[in-house]
Amino acid sequence: MKRLGLLATAAALALSVVPAFAADDVIIGVIYPLTGNSAPVGLDAKVAYDVTAEIINGTHAPLPMLMGKGGGLDKLGGAKIKLVYADSQNDPQKARAEAERLITQEHAVAVLGAYTSATAATISQVTDRYEIPFVNADSTSPSLSQRGLKWYFRTTPHDEMFSQAMFKFFADEGAKTGHKVTKIALFHEDSLFGTDSSNVQLKLAADAKIDVVADVKYRANSPSLSAEAQKLKAADPDAILPSSYTSDAILIMKAMHEIGYTPKAVMAQAAGFQESGFLAGVGPLSEGVFSRSSFALDAVKSRPAIEPVNALYKAKNNKDLNDNTSRQVTGLVVLADAINRAGSTKAEAIRTALIATNVPGNQTIMPWAGVKFDENGQNIEGTPVIQQVSGGTYHTVWPADVATQPAVWNVGK
Amino acid sequence: MQNAITLRRRRELITAGVLVALLIVLPLPFHDPYTRNLMILTLLYAALAQSWNILGGTCGQISLGHSLYFGVGAYVSTLLFVWHGVPPWFGMLAAAAVAGLLALLVGWPCFRLSGHYYAIATVVVQEIAYLLFLNWDDIGGASGVYVPFHGQSWLNLQFRTAKLPYFYVMLGFFALTWIAAWWIEGSRWGFSWRAVKDDVIAARSLGVRVFPSKMAAAAISGGLTGIGGAIFAQFVGYIDPDSILSGPLSILIALPAVLGGVGTLWGPLLGAAVLIPLRELSSTFLGSSGSGVDLMLYGALIMVVALWRPQGLVSLFQRGRNGSAS
Amino acid sequence: MQVALSGLLMGLIYALVAAGLSLIFGLMDVVNFAHGELMMVAMYAAFTLWQVSGLDPMIMLPLVALLMFGIGMAVYRLLIARALAVRFNKGMVQIFVTFGLAIFIRGAAQMVFGGEFRAVTGTALADRSWHLGGIFLPLPQLAAGFVCLLAFGGLYLIGRTEFGHALEATREDRDAVALIGIDRDRIFSLGWGLGAATLGVAGVMLAGFYYVSPNVGANFALIAYVTVALGGFGSLMGALVAGLLIGEVEAVTAQLLEPSLKQVGMFAIYLAVLMFRPRGLFGKI
Repeated sequence: MKRLGLLATAAALALSVVPAFAADDVIIGVIYPLTGNSAPVGLDAKVAYDVTAEIINGTHAPLPMLMGKGGGLDKLGGAKIKLVYADSQNDPQKARAEAERLITQEHAVAVLGAYTSATAATISQVTDRYEIPFVNADSTSPSLSQRGLKWYFRTTPHDEMFSQAMFKFFADEGAKTGHKVTKIALFHEDSLFGTDSSNVQLKLAADAKIDVVADVKYRANSPSLSAEAQKLKAADPDAILPSSYTSDAILIMKAMHEIGYTPKAVMAQAAGFQESGFLAGVGPLSEGVFSRSSFALDAVKSRPAIEPVNALYKAKNNKDLNDNTSRQVTGLVVLADAINRAGSTKAEAIRTALIATNVPGNQTIMPWAGVKFDENGQNIEGTPVIQQVSGGTYHTVWPADVATQPAVWNVGK
Repeated sequence: MQNAITLRRRRELITAGVLVALLIVLPLPFHDPYTRNLMILTLLYAALAQSWNILGGTCGQISLGHSLYFGVGAYVSTLLFVWHGVPPWFGMLAAAAVAGLLALLVGWPCFRLSGHYYAIATVVVQEIAYLLFLNWDDIGGASGVYVPFHGQSWLNLQFRTAKLPYFYVMLGFFALTWIAAWWIEGSRWGFSWRAVKDDVIAARSLGVRVFPSKMAAAAISGGLTGIGGAIFAQFVGYIDPDSILSGPLSILIALPAVLGGVGTLWGPLLGAAVLIPLRELSSTFLGSSGSGVDLMLYGALIMVVALWRPQGLVSLFQRGRNGSAS
Repeated sequence: MQVALSGLLMGLIYALVAAGLSLIFGLMDVVNFAHGELMMVAMYAAFTLWQVSGLDPMIMLPLVALLMFGIGMAVYRLLIARALAVRFNKGMVQIFVTFGLAIFIRGAAQMVFGGEFRAVTGTALADRSWHLGGIFLPLPQLAAGFVCLLAFGGLYLIGRTEFGHALEATREDRDAVALIGIDRDRIFSLGWGLGAATLGVAGVMLAGFYYVSPNVGANFALIAYVTVALGGFGSLMGALVAGLLIGEVEAVTAQLLEPSLKQVGMFAIYLAVLMFRPRGLFGKI
């Protein structure tokens, strides 16, 4: 790591001799699903990125975070970040073609994306072949960072890290409150996200000696989930661990309620459960639901930048930052910082700077320990939190240093 | 009479030769991968629609589940490549064989159904296959399969960033499907299949064996579609059931043939040349607004063309000539 | 028991969604591939009325049904009548015209409503269930099932009126009816209106317990086609029986096998039945 740091400094020095083009726009390609089933997430992402670019480029009172002082990239003569968006339609083929277009035609110096893991998979292949950095802000399939790609950097924790946090939370709670979780039920959709997530959870449950009393794999976007709810009810676990997108998250909560089943606890793999559409769609049924999160909106004490950034975002999109949009803000901030430190828009220099990234958590809006990439480009300091719905919004209940409320068990029983 | 037909068929062959020569030089002035990518996709869908046309156009069996053969072809060659290192050129042959056999297997029960019953049955069979592949963990399930990059090589049909080789492979694939369609048109088979399409009962009385005709058309159509899947997998480098075995893809395979001219030799290419660029460009330049305008445009185009030129866009070029290929 | 009942209630919904499709097909040999999207329009109509007025969507049911009746007639006049008038490839033109319409409506919905998932909440029936000796009957689904039976009753009665006889006559012989003074075009457009109106009823009831989004139609459309083909195109009775059968098969497959394969169960049943009855359970051979 030290050697890489030296390398980065050397690269930065070498490049600082040759002054960069003064104040030329730095173009970053951004690929998200903007039409189709996943469009709501992509459209929110677009607002989040626009707001972040304004923060980096604009003239405003300095915000207490990385790249928060405004005025563009100072080491590039105050060059501005310019974002060019592309619609992946949640189609891997389309995502690949758009990545190529952004790199070759729009001359993007780096690519950001991509929400769904299947599109991140093809984008990362393109960026590796064109040797352009790809900062993946929010796709969580563990396999993405296990393919030995050279130009792939993932700021978000992946599903294995998230699930580890869940099981650690169960253990901590058991020790602290005596509320033990000894049998769980998995509930996951039949997609890449759902199967990856449940496979990890099966493994971790075996390690923690927790019984998996039901493993319900369901068809995404089904007309009805009542048979699935039946299976969960019959298994009656201490906690249900769902991995679902918004539509099915709404449906399963309703379906369980309809058959008179109030689960002892629901511990969601975020995704749909963290969307505002879910909270509005199921209303009071969401009360007491746990979800892992990479974001804690209420951690304003330890992360002073949350409030001002959220205010800017809310002014544009009329909702608070959530698990997805916060990670997108962070993805762009980390990338912009790397380009700035590189002092150049050369791909190799940006990559070197990304490798040398070492941002402490309190310089971001995330409750993470920080941002620091391992040799696979995975951020190893992205430590997740556990949140719980009370009063219609999520509050952080774990870990203790960022928690704002204690966890409550058996809500509604 | 015989002479006129031979003459026309020879003329078509010459036209095709000239066109292929033009297509060979077409991508040379365009250096950006996006345009070349667009050309590759256009040729791919033209070839797939040409394959579909053999069953749907010539033989009149409207299949709305052709992504089944495309997806299975892609999986066969990719898994052979990933597991056993079989070069995709051989994988393609295997893909064609498996997809062709599968088409026979599907056709055997389904060809007893008529009209809309047949169309919906093809959708259902494809949907069953999609669900099974999605849940079949041994072949990647929902996670799909990555095609590992073994370095630039024609043998493995892998190129780092170059698009031109894929263009020529796709052109070859299109030429193959065109030749197949051309040959069938002039053969006894073509005669029998058109008879089946026009009037099943009359065909029977003429001594056409209806069921074997449909089966043969299905096998050729499915097999060719499978080859397309094999090339596509190598081109994209990642396959999963959602992107290569889905309902919308089935429609996209049939659409260029329908809009260009069902049962004609040039309809699929013409339809693809209009439809695919419009679809890709509108989603690239309007889709990023996320407003849904691109979908509205795409849908409107389909409606307008289908109503305005029910016999297909190819009819625009046939004024004064009554001899359409069907 | 609970499983069987859930399947039954879902089956009634499937039957109602399929009824309009079956009606239109029986009348003029047209499969409407924008069926799911038209239902999505009805669901958005119900949702919007609820949002504006705060009243239970069920009170708005006649309004939505009327609106859908008009939309159905408009679709017929603007598109289907033209698709039926073409001289070439009639079968393909109608398939792909309705398919184009489906994409168009989806784009329009995204433009008007955005891509968000929405749901009607806080109505009198929402999220409430009857608890009868260990069995839970969710009220919104129960109401939907009840309305579905009413709708089928209504369709049956309409079939016995003069208009119904005209429908029947047009179905039997399209060209001969002109001779006895029936305006074929008018019958067809009323048929489309009626088909869309039943879809309006289905959409409103569904909005009571299901979410709404621009792509929601696709979740039900394929099942509707399978239901109609299984029951036999054009048969009202067939749609009802097939809907119930599919609802039950789905529930039972989900219980016995992995739930992600439950649709394989219903599709397999469909294919199996078609082997023996190529025109569905109640189709005319």
